[in-house]
Amino acid sequence: MSHNGFFGTFGGKYVAEVLRKPLDDLEIAFDKAMQDPSFLEELRTLQRDFIGRPTPLYFAENATKILGGAQIYIKMEGLAHTGAHKINNALGQALLAKKMGKTRIIAETGAGQHGLATAAACAKLGLPCEVFMGEVDVRRQQPNVAAMEMYGAKVISVKSGSKTLKDAINEAMRDWAAHFDNTHYLIGSALGPAPFPDMVRFFQSVIGKEVQEQSQERHLDIAALCACVGGGSNAIGFFAPFIDKDAPRLIGAEAGGIGPGQNENAVRMSGSAAKDGIVHGYKSRFLLDDDGQVAETRSISAGLDYPGIGPQLADLGKNGRIEFRAITDNQALEALQFFAKNEGILFAMESAHAGAVALQIAKEIPKDKAIIINMSGRGDKDIFITSPVFRPFEWEQFLQSELDRLKQGTDIHYAESLPTNLKKELENK
Amino acid sequence: MTSQNQIRLMSHLVAGYPNLDVSLEVADALVRGGSTFLEIQLAFSDPSADGPAIQNACAHALSNGFSTQKGLAFIGEVHQRHPEIPLFLMTYASLAYTPGIENFIKEAKKVGVTGVIIPDLPFDQDEGLTAACKKYGMENIPVAAPSMTPERLNKMIDAKFTYIYAALRAGITGSETTIDSQTLQFLDAFSKGSSKILGGFGIRSGSQAKQLANHVYAVVAGSVFVHEITTHYNPQNENESKMKIASAVETKAKEITSL
Repeated sequence: MSHNGFFGTFGGKYVAEVLRKPLDDLEIAFDKAMQDPSFLEELRTLQRDFIGRPTPLYFAENATKILGGAQIYIKMEGLAHTGAHKINNALGQALLAKKMGKTRIIAETGAGQHGLATAAACAKLGLPCEVFMGEVDVRRQQPNVAAMEMYGAKVISVKSGSKTLKDAINEAMRDWAAHFDNTHYLIGSALGPAPFPDMVRFFQSVIGKEVQEQSQERHLDIAALCACVGGGSNAIGFFAPFIDKDAPRLIGAEAGGIGPGQNENAVRMSGSAAKDGIVHGYKSRFLLDDDGQVAETRSISAGLDYPGIGPQLADLGKNGRIEFRAITDNQALEALQFFAKNEGILFAMESAHAGAVALQIAKEIPKDKAIIINMSGRGDKDIFITSPVFRPFEWEQFLQSELDRLKQGTDIHYAESLPTNLKKELENK
Repeated sequence: MTSQNQIRLMSHLVAGYPNLDVSLEVADALVRGGSTFLEIQLAFSDPSADGPAIQNACAHALSNGFSTQKGLAFIGEVHQRHPEIPLFLMTYASLAYTPGIENFIKEAKKVGVTGVIIPDLPFDQDEGLTAACKKYGMENIPVAAPSMTPERLNKMIDAKFTYIYAALRAGITGSETTIDSQTLQFLDAFSKGSSKILGGFGIRSGSQAKQLANHVYAVVAGSVFVHEITTHYNPQNENESKMKIASAVETKAKEITSL
């Protein structure tokens, strides 16, 4: 837990005074819920039946043999409902908001995974949901927009600033400032002003608690835990039960992007580019220019493409408990292919960064020890990102034929049998 | 409150919006329009306490190559032209914290800043802002909101700031503010303290200003001027739009300041 909202020097409630009361109210409600057996019981039941917990701890036998070092295990968070760990937090906060008597949920989303999880949780709990999403992200993440709308959420395209995740956060904060009487702002990562970092960690710590139980049952000697770190909610939840212990090694994989240069990555901890800063209501490590303007970041994985990091992770990195490594786009793609081909498991691009760390360190660790990778999400969602990389020609043809089909209103059964020009001729006859 | 038969106004502008040249004209027009104080905002990439109008103005300034150094030079220029007008620098924590709070305040003092408004540095967790201001003879102007608990409001009053910026609406700048009895109650709660109240957020008209005038030391207006600039700015015709903007801004300021 934080001390008055601080983890060492990081954290805090650096918000305009208007947001102070809703944050204080939320803190009180969260503390109360943590002491409330009926809240915790309801949460456990929903985790089991709605999310599908516990998620498996999977022994990657083939990968272990090929790498020839430590035993590789994968915590299968990607099997959670809606395809990623995001639902753990979304459901927990939505349930809390409902107990607080809130009648409306707002959330920000970048790639759409958190928005999707929030939309599903709100549908389940009967809460109206509005998701703020940068216009650029709305354009490039249409499948998730469609799914959110399917769950009944309203997706609001944010046209201000750089029209991406950080602008969606600003817009959600603005909405919250005007409507906190009836509205809960459901933040998607373990960051933002207190009490969000503590609260999100709590709801995500179900991952780490399960790993602890599952590895004890199997008598695993864990050498290292590997997780990807954007804002860091999967990592902090996965690491939570182990933070105060000396072992195992805790390794966070940051987005190394296309290289170490400025604006080429989202490396906050392992490089020297980031600074201590105050942005989005909390103090942490941020990618900022010399004036303090938030810098552009870059990563193949939308979920890691963020200039800040949760304050607790920043503190644990500073004091050495967590090691951070930068994993490039290409290294993540290699890891993605490795686990898909050898284990039949498709990682999300984000989680593939954690997989890449395991590939790097497996050989250094003896065979009687285990490395556990948190597969925070599964990769189905990335088909629009991975396909242009792995099979650009076929993908282009597919998109073209889908477009033709849409324009012509052709049934799927006839769409691919004929090239466009021939179909046009037939229709004209 | 009023002086010399007009309502005191703290008018707001974004340095470098739509560009440094035009914003200098805006500053002049605001002074001609009767402003008592100027609040000059240094654009930040993530201005979460501002409404869309000011956020877009900030984004525009940044895309034109705005920097803190240029912003401070701009303030220096305004100060030379209007040495009698107290200048309040408004920005976000990141721009003050990154170069070091004390360093930032020192630089601001050099160009003639009277006080700073940094909404995301809470008055009781200000990273040394108030102390640095004291050291260099400047004011830290905290922002109060109607949602504050009485305890917190009293804590702010007891801290005896020279000025307090009272943000009237529960939300953010730029939307309609209704001046109801609750708003006035909130403002009047400060009367037991010694701080001068700068009250605003969403002030768009002279009639709103008149309603407020007796409850505040000065009325604050910001996004209404940004709106005038956005409406009249035509990058194809810089000189003509400069004149139009200056005239529109001056007229609006006069409307707000006149009794």
